[in-house]
Amino acid sequence: MLRFLPDPLLVASEPKKGRAPKAPELPIPERKNWLIHLHYIRKDYETCKDIIKEQLQETRGMCEYAIYVQALILRLEGQIQQSLELFQSCAILNPANPDNLKQVARSLFLLGKHKAAIEVYHEAGKLNDEDWEVHHNLGVCYSVIKDYKNVCVVSQAEEQLNAALQLNKQDRTFLTLGKVHLLSRDTDKAVDVYKAAVEFSPENTELLTTLGLLYLQLGKYQKAFEHLGNALTFDPSNYKAILAAGSMMQTHGDFDVAMNKYRVAACVVPESPPLWNNIGMCFFSKKKYVAAISCLKRAHYLSPFDWKVLYNLGLVHLTMQQYASAFHFLSAATNLQPRLGELYMLLAVALTNLEDLDNARRSYEQAVALDHSNPLVNLNFAILLYNHGDKKGALQQYQEIERKVNMLKDSNTEFDSELMDMAQKMATALQVGESLVWTKPAKDTKFKQGSAGVPIKTLGSSQQPLGTNQALEQAMSSAAGYNRSITPRVSLSQPKRSSVPLAESSGLENPPAVPGDASGTPRPEESDTPDTLPPLAAKPKVKSKSRQELN
Amino acid sequence: LAPASGNWTEYINGKWLDAHYDPVANLYTFSSCIVLADLHGDGENKLVVGDLGTGSSNMKLKVYRGTGLMSENTLLDLPTGLVSFLMDQHEPRTPAIAVASGPYIYVYKNLRPYFKFTLPPLEVNALEQDVWNQAREDMIDPLSLKEMLDSIRDKADVPLSVRSLRFLMLDPQDMEAFVNLYKEQPIRRQTVITCISTLKKNMADEDAVSCLVIGTESKDVYILDPEAFTVLTKMSLPSAPTQMDVTGQFDVEFRITVACRNGNIYVLRRESPKPKYCIELSSHPVGLVRIGKNVVVGCAQETLQGFTQKGKKLWTVCLPAPVTTMSVMDLPTRGFQAVLVGLANSEVHLYRDKNLISTIKTPDIVTSICFGRYGREDGTLIMTTKGGGLIVKILKRTAVFDDRDSAPGPPLAQSIRLNVPKKTKLYVDQTMRERENSVAMHRAFQMDLSRLRLAAARAYVKALESSLTPMSSSLSEPLRMNAVVQGLGPSFKLTLNIQNTAVCRPVMNLAISFLYDESLYSMKTAFFKIPLLVPGLNYPIDTFVECLSDKGISDIIKVFVLREGKSAPLLTAHINMPVSEGLALN
Repeated sequence: MLRFLPDPLLVASEPKKGRAPKAPELPIPERKNWLIHLHYIRKDYETCKDIIKEQLQETRGMCEYAIYVQALILRLEGQIQQSLELFQSCAILNPANPDNLKQVARSLFLLGKHKAAIEVYHEAGKLNDEDWEVHHNLGVCYSVIKDYKNVCVVSQAEEQLNAALQLNKQDRTFLTLGKVHLLSRDTDKAVDVYKAAVEFSPENTELLTTLGLLYLQLGKYQKAFEHLGNALTFDPSNYKAILAAGSMMQTHGDFDVAMNKYRVAACVVPESPPLWNNIGMCFFSKKKYVAAISCLKRAHYLSPFDWKVLYNLGLVHLTMQQYASAFHFLSAATNLQPRLGELYMLLAVALTNLEDLDNARRSYEQAVALDHSNPLVNLNFAILLYNHGDKKGALQQYQEIERKVNMLKDSNTEFDSELMDMAQKMATALQVGESLVWTKPAKDTKFKQGSAGVPIKTLGSSQQPLGTNQALEQAMSSAAGYNRSITPRVSLSQPKRSSVPLAESSGLENPPAVPGDASGTPRPEESDTPDTLPPLAAKPKVKSKSRQELN
Repeated sequence: LAPASGNWTEYINGKWLDAHYDPVANLYTFSSCIVLADLHGDGENKLVVGDLGTGSSNMKLKVYRGTGLMSENTLLDLPTGLVSFLMDQHEPRTPAIAVASGPYIYVYKNLRPYFKFTLPPLEVNALEQDVWNQAREDMIDPLSLKEMLDSIRDKADVPLSVRSLRFLMLDPQDMEAFVNLYKEQPIRRQTVITCISTLKKNMADEDAVSCLVIGTESKDVYILDPEAFTVLTKMSLPSAPTQMDVTGQFDVEFRITVACRNGNIYVLRRESPKPKYCIELSSHPVGLVRIGKNVVVGCAQETLQGFTQKGKKLWTVCLPAPVTTMSVMDLPTRGFQAVLVGLANSEVHLYRDKNLISTIKTPDIVTSICFGRYGREDGTLIMTTKGGGLIVKILKRTAVFDDRDSAPGPPLAQSIRLNVPKKTKLYVDQTMRERENSVAMHRAFQMDLSRLRLAAARAYVKALESSLTPMSSSLSEPLRMNAVVQGLGPSFKLTLNIQNTAVCRPVMNLAISFLYDESLYSMKTAFFKIPLLVPGLNYPIDTFVECLSDKGISDIIKVFVLREGKSAPLLTAHINMPVSEGLALN
């Protein structure tokens, strides 16, 4: 077989033309760079390291790219400090290469030395100002220097990220910029950024979901649902989007559809507390109370300190007339969330049923003190007071109800019919004539459940940034709080809402005599308590009937 | 052909025939080093593989025919890429093989070495040249040479040659010899080839003459004349190219899509020495393939992305595993074009646009793929694996790839029942019981809770009163004590660990006394003094206890830490003595 003329030997030892045939040709240090790169991008790190080692031996540590990749692999393996040192030696070998500086800065960033990283990035920016990556990373650095009150830092972060976007549009730059806006509480700007991002890459589910959640937080339900739906078309098992969309469906009463979605999520993330909470409340709305309890208990097991799960558990147990259990869940919830009036109201209802009147009264007082807009709290309190002969106290509470109702009427909230009925009966019992003044106009505007407005308000006021999981849970999690007002469709759904009728009926239950003789209308609910397990079915039925009539 | 494993359904329904599988073919190669070509002009395509051998030695150019190895040529260095191309109009029209390795291209005709092309050398730094010239004339000594080269390296635009770099690494005693050895030779700067491809010269025919297109480490792209091997065009890139895709004709219009090491993809065109378009990816491109007018890129971030040739993003697909290699599957007879993507989970996925239309399971991770005419069979898929295996599959003539709708139905998980336990009889009973007796239950619970709290409070007060806590509560003597009993009996060793937990004040004048049933135990000294306790140190105090009883009973020994002049103990510990097993045996 023929061979190439000069040599059967390796290139390295190929003799040179010229006079001094002895001088061996020096190997080119870069000669295996392509092979190193090839193995690196294929994530074949073991082979890559072997080649690098060989190459560094051959070139006595002069091969810049080999060191560079070695450092990258070390960083992937978590040895950030070593990688930093190697990148620094790369930067010494070739100070003109901005990549080396960028990686030094990246390692510094990962080590938490953000200020140092910023300096090095600026240095790299001097070598090549047209690099979006430098601007993006500068933006990220500025945004993690947890100093959101410092306007200067925030605006610098925004400036850098915008510069990066101008050079090159990347999804992650959009995401970071949106996050920066959210952290500086500038929701409108964040929405604008995410809108632009979705326009640029319409199939990015993360962007779609984030934007959807943001709309949800702003109360633009139509748009929120649209974006979440889009996210689900591109990724039908996107956990965040499923949870958000599912809870919106729950709000609308589409429990079966919501359950379908939740089933997918349950496969993807089987141990998510908010998911099981929502599934539980779906079952609750479908009157499958035992299933609801087991789902809620699972959520509680997975996240024992989530008061919303405890709240719902308390609610379901109240419905099941398991007052002793309800008491435990509710009192645990009040320990975790001591500022929610409705929780105390539910606790008081449980206590009333446990015939612990002193504590029930104390709990109501606490509830009334904490609550500012839910007339239900006062109504239940008034019933308790009235049933125990404290007409004066009841009257006082009744006036409070009127005040709250008038206030809510201004903001165009609609009221639960059962609430109105009860209040009216209360009024007649207390012989307050003016009651009709507010019930009538309310009736004209069609009643709706309004009670659930309170929890969402507390949720909203807790002021956490949206777009994170936390925010998601906040928004979605406890079906505990959802404001509807989205569509005129009336739904009997809503876990939270059901607290209303429940609380009322239970408020009525213990003193059957008094309201009976006072108003002359016996409540049909109390009469039948079936012995079969899903026993309270009767009551919600009555309630739902009344609602349908109204509509 | 019969299926090896008797899996008939797969055999009948599958799209591929297993033609050949050699798990020990011992091939270490990449898609860039595999080519199918009719080397002998006999209408039968051979498989030409540039084998990297062990990665440092034993590199071979292997030619397969059918299932067997036909010939082997030794290569001098690692092959970076391998192409077959027609270099002239001579009959018979047999293609030549060009193997790129290091700074050279070795051209084989009829599998015989034909020509060796060397990349043009790079520009040498003028200052460096000067310095070496001075050295040649012995005007400067090696040490000052080193100094000057050092200063040149730090600020020069043109990097130093290998020789100078190596010189700078040397120890002072070796410098003289090195300079003498090299000073007579001209300085050269060589670069290496990183990828190679072909470009039709002036006709689009299948058997038209092609130019070689090579990308180099020095961030340049050269186009070579196929006959004279002169550089026709040189273009430069912002980063070193890793792979390219070339289309068009050199004399008319062409387009070179180059994936670069900085993670970007550039598009070069005729008459423009700089890239025309740029696609900035968020991760490194592993595979680059052109389908029609679109570019499909497999990224290291486990995604497959489609772009227009002007760099507009069309779609993104997430992949289940990292990409190892990519190739085009082109069946012109059927008008079928798709992308083959080798994945690190030992699968090869076939994508048409963003739709996955077929999956091939392979016995090992595939590292290179090549689809085309092999032998006389048009639809042959050739793959090599990480372990060095060679797989040859033939597309069945009956195989149909139906384009499934891109919008998938509801995910499977939607029909899986939720894992919710059934209600049990016990649960129902308990619920009923609670419903009937909730008030009583609640009261009993509250009562018991109060009792529990009371009992706890009492126990706590008692412990405080009798100093039973493991830490002394007095402020002047903050002490901590614990006791360890060692031994099986009848003699036990009792170790008391005492620590002064004060910040800086030592404690003095303490004593320890024991209280025990003297009929059961005996101790040499039941009372002794404790030395001064320095804060923070642990003082182990040993004493021995003898058990007197052989009845297998044990008792409590009480330990008191006392302060001189005070009768109330500072600390009390109750030690539950173990049963003496030694006596029990007797």
